Amino acid sequence: MSERHRLRSLLTLVQLNGIIPIRTQPLYLLNLLASPLSFLFFITVISHGSLLAYGVTGGMVLTMLSVGTGLQSDLTHYRHDLKFQDVVVASPVEAPVYVAGMAFSELVYSLPGIGVFVVILAADGLASAEACVVLAGVMLLVWGFATALAFTLATYFEDVRETFMFSPLISLGLTVLPPVYYPLSALPGWAQVIARFSPTTYAASLAQGATGLQPLSTGQALLDWTVLVTFTAALFLIAAVKARWKEP
Amino acid sequence: MGSAIHAERLGKVYRHSVKGVPALDGLSLDVPTGGVYGLIGRNGAGKTTFIRIAATQLEPTSGRLDVLGENVQGGERKIRARIACVPQESRPLYFLRVEEVIYLYLKMRGLEPAEARRRTKAALDELSLTEYAKRLVSRLSGGLRRRTLCAMVLASDADVMFLDEPTTGLDPIARREVWQAIRRASREHRTIVLTTHYLDEAEQLSGRLALIERGQLVLEGSPGDLRGRVRYPYRVTLQGGFTHAELESYGQVSDVEGGYLVFTREAEARDLAKVALERGARLSMGPVSLEDIFLDVVGKSIDSDGDAETAEEAA
Repeated sequence: MSERHRLRSLLTLVQLNGIIPIRTQPLYLLNLLASPLSFLFFITVISHGSLLAYGVTGGMVLTMLSVGTGLQSDLTHYRHDLKFQDVVVASPVEAPVYVAGMAFSELVYSLPGIGVFVVILAADGLASAEACVVLAGVMLLVWGFATALAFTLATYFEDVRETFMFSPLISLGLTVLPPVYYPLSALPGWAQVIARFSPTTYAASLAQGATGLQPLSTGQALLDWTVLVTFTAALFLIAAVKARWKEP
Repeated sequence: MGSAIHAERLGKVYRHSVKGVPALDGLSLDVPTGGVYGLIGRNGAGKTTFIRIAATQLEPTSGRLDVLGENVQGGERKIRARIACVPQESRPLYFLRVEEVIYLYLKMRGLEPAEARRRTKAALDELSLTEYAKRLVSRLSGGLRRRTLCAMVLASDADVMFLDEPTTGLDPIARREVWQAIRRASREHRTIVLTTHYLDEAEQLSGRLALIERGQLVLEGSPGDLRGRVRYPYRVTLQGGFTHAELESYGQVSDVEGGYLVFTREAEARDLAKVALERGARLSMGPVSLEDIFLDVVGKSIDSDGDAETAEEAA
């Protein structure tokens, strides 16, 4: 397959799993926004608007993680229920093209949500050009590790119902318990230690720093980026080793 | 004409197999280039496992399998560029329209949009799907979904196409439309490997047939060859004029509703017809069907479940 053909395959997968389902059922977009907007609503109401920005940065991280959990369900459903993956395996489409195509297709669902959050941040005066660049980088990395995690887990799931069970647990473990919607300092000391095992802690730290919600030293920012990039790379490595294209 | 597929002592034991029952047990066969090759066997005989290995979806445990001259272990990339597959129990993505299922599959395979559109239209026409082209898959019957998948894969024009029970759930008219499309593809020198539970379908379509039982090749050849290899190539049904004991000298006798079914040889069939006419018995005679051959060779009906199925399901 030439590079042109690979790109065509990838874009076709984005169209097939991202654009067309939204055209058929636009409520898919609201589905992904429901949880982040609910958190934002509660946080804003309870804090009388003072913590709105935490709700927005947290919502952005949660939206990108939801892309991963959505991907996990789609992959499992396509592999076991529809046998779509078998159709693709027995074709010129290579595994990395399928992975990238499916990952980008899920990203389509998140774009309106991210757009809404950026507009709220801008209205709140927190969306400087520098902040937007940092936020874009952080969101891409969160999307990256959520995608890698989805591919790894989907390999082991035998039924889409298992993904329904795991998805809320993943959200709980990566966005509610770690300080995504609040500053790390709000947690007691022992909980801060545990929170540092979650990559979303570093993503939130960078997002909160970029929007001026929390002070962020250059050293801390460097550490956050390093951990986030390393974690994403490690998950991609695990996905590459564990995810099955051809059944053993 | 060479082999499109060459299997040599191919073995597969699923990791979670019950008691280590092999799904394929030293299977050797050659699928010639061009034409339809039918794989028949009971549930769990190993047909789907063979197709999945040949379609590079599943690793074999032992032996060797070459598709279009490339080993499935190592040569996957070259093989995948030239094959297409309708897996067993596969379904098209429910949120697509029928025409999108075909068009997007072809584009995903790397075809230019104009060519993908041309082939989509041709496939829709050929399988009488044009009137459903704009309909969502979620609103189609099971048979139409299956037909859409067949159209999708046949439109690919791949050198080797694997169709694993492609007509399950189709009504007789739709089955014949799929047969027509398969025949057209095979006339264009494509190789089609087909598994089916419908023995009439296997006989109608296949230039050659392989009968698989417990992961092994039991019988292989053209439908005519297979008839020549069974003990009794003729079947005679009789009503009245004979007793069971009298008929036993002609061949293998079974009681059927209102009479007897006798599997016999050509000379004995002639004698039997003569005697039946003298006695005024009602008689019908003809060559054995594929179902009869299956029953004779395997000793069980094709509709009964095979032992290896549990192994396949557990994997």
